[in-house]
Amino acid sequence: MGSTITEKILARAGGMDVVRPGQNAPFRPDYMVAYDFPGYTDVMFKQMADDFGITTLDDPDRYVLFIDHLVTRGGEREEEIHRVTREWGRANGVEVHEGKGIGHQVAAELGYAMPGTFLVHFDGHISGLGAFGSLGWGVRKDLLEAWVSGAVYLDVPASSKFHLEGRFGPGVDNRDLLHHIIAEMGADGCAHQVMEYVGPGAEAMSIDRRQGLCAMAMFTGAVSAIFNPDELSLEYARKVARRDFEPLYSDPDAEYAASYEIDLTTLSPQVVLPGSAKSSNTRPIEELAGTPVQHAYIGSCASGRIEEIRAAADILRGKKVAANVRLNVVPTSEQIYQQADEEGLLSVLSEAGAHVAKSSCDFCIGYAAPLAAGDSCISTGVLNISGRMGSTEAQIYMGSAYTVAASALTGTIADPREVVPS
Amino acid sequence: MTGVAPGPSSVVPDLLRGRVAWIFGDDFDIDLVIGVENIKSYDPVHLRSVCMATYDPDFISAVRPGDVIVGGRNFGYGHPHYPAMIALRNEGISAVIAESFAPGYWRGEIYQGMPLITVPGISSAVERWDEVELDWRAARVTLPGSGQVLQGSPLSEHAVRVIEAGGGFNLLLKEQGPEGRARRAMAAADD
Repeated sequence: MGSTITEKILARAGGMDVVRPGQNAPFRPDYMVAYDFPGYTDVMFKQMADDFGITTLDDPDRYVLFIDHLVTRGGEREEEIHRVTREWGRANGVEVHEGKGIGHQVAAELGYAMPGTFLVHFDGHISGLGAFGSLGWGVRKDLLEAWVSGAVYLDVPASSKFHLEGRFGPGVDNRDLLHHIIAEMGADGCAHQVMEYVGPGAEAMSIDRRQGLCAMAMFTGAVSAIFNPDELSLEYARKVARRDFEPLYSDPDAEYAASYEIDLTTLSPQVVLPGSAKSSNTRPIEELAGTPVQHAYIGSCASGRIEEIRAAADILRGKKVAANVRLNVVPTSEQIYQQADEEGLLSVLSEAGAHVAKSSCDFCIGYAAPLAAGDSCISTGVLNISGRMGSTEAQIYMGSAYTVAASALTGTIADPREVVPS
Repeated sequence: MTGVAPGPSSVVPDLLRGRVAWIFGDDFDIDLVIGVENIKSYDPVHLRSVCMATYDPDFISAVRPGDVIVGGRNFGYGHPHYPAMIALRNEGISAVIAESFAPGYWRGEIYQGMPLITVPGISSAVERWDEVELDWRAARVTLPGSGQVLQGSPLSEHAVRVIEAGGGFNLLLKEQGPEGRARRAMAAADD
């Protein structure tokens, strides 16, 4: 019996020939990634030295730090967190990437997401790196185990295969696919598994779309998501790779927990009701069209990539955001910001009345531009639970960048298929 | 009833005996135990004042050390924060028995040393305040009232070690802390 790409990556990381689902063992990540955040990294830095006596890292190249949260507002507490991070990085020979954008995206741009590599983070959205045929796994506080011992105990996950046909129709994208999957399968449809995307629809999907799709895997209960490498992802990886890499691929006779077929051409825009992304909250846009919103947001680690900025610019070109709507557009990385600027997209958005901000995680978590009680927002953020973007009495709807841009035009949730240029 | 005394190697008793203090439904977001406005609080007095307040205002006075909570499918769904379980643990909740667990919550709370035991059928087999006896290592629940036994999926050996140590940090400290490193250095020198 063959192995899935996930099993092969873990076998290599575990120093074993073969692993099988359910097996529990320590696995050695190629990279152990984190962003600095109060209660996480500041505590871990202290634990490493004070509790474990680790003042010299055996292999500092495997540790990666990003400064991407709490950067827009400043303040003494935030500055202290960032200062401690920079100092720990300097003292330990660990790279600290600051001012380059959201780490889950920047990790790809800086060549950490090489096909076949295994990366852990405390944050589950590192699964977005599955777009490149690498396995990203959010291990929460067990990241300390990896930092201290070099490896982390994990249960080898089974995989579910999603065979994609066709291509997205106009005004429909990976966000709609993901919410469609949750609506069909439930919030635990892939519990403790890895979602593996295959087929002609997967191969035709852009890297941006793949990253956004993989980044949201946790809302099906999955621990990660992955695409097998192909010419598109290999070409990207070769340009940025930090070292030589050896891609891995699922065997044709690999065993899957389940297989599903989805024709992308049949998908339509989906909107998630305030509360969470679970299936009972996911609705076809027709059911919610006309719902008033005062805030709109395009950004986060799952969205805000160049294709989504283009999508928003296509919809807003030559038009104006509704007078009572505040639209924040936050390109996911500095590189994407620059590209969007060079393509003239940022001025299109600004002229339409959008506020374009430098890349950070802060809009998604309500640290920048927080919502007030009674506000309604349509968002491409990763989470719409109460209080996520400010007041616990604000309402957060989620949809694709197409849907957010279309809704910003009218001040009500709107079907992007009616306004997207053909 | 507060459960039997812990064995010498474990901070958690071999058998957990208590009552079902609450039964939650499927896809339960654990943050709701204290309310999302309180998910950043670690103040025990404040957590006590809000714990389960929207579900049962008398919960705090009724619950006893050793009691467990029961969940449906995908317990811990969402972006689970730690204070909700800290609040429940402060009130004596000793384990969560659920049909299944959301992976992020499962990993986060096992790290905290909380026994999370997957037992299919549990949420329909019990009613609130039923007595239960949980052999958490074997994932076996006995209902003394009816004599019924439900068998779940046992944890991995590593997860058992984490719970026995009182959490991932304590286990890591035992194995990788200064004492553990010294022990390993001595063992290596003996080879």
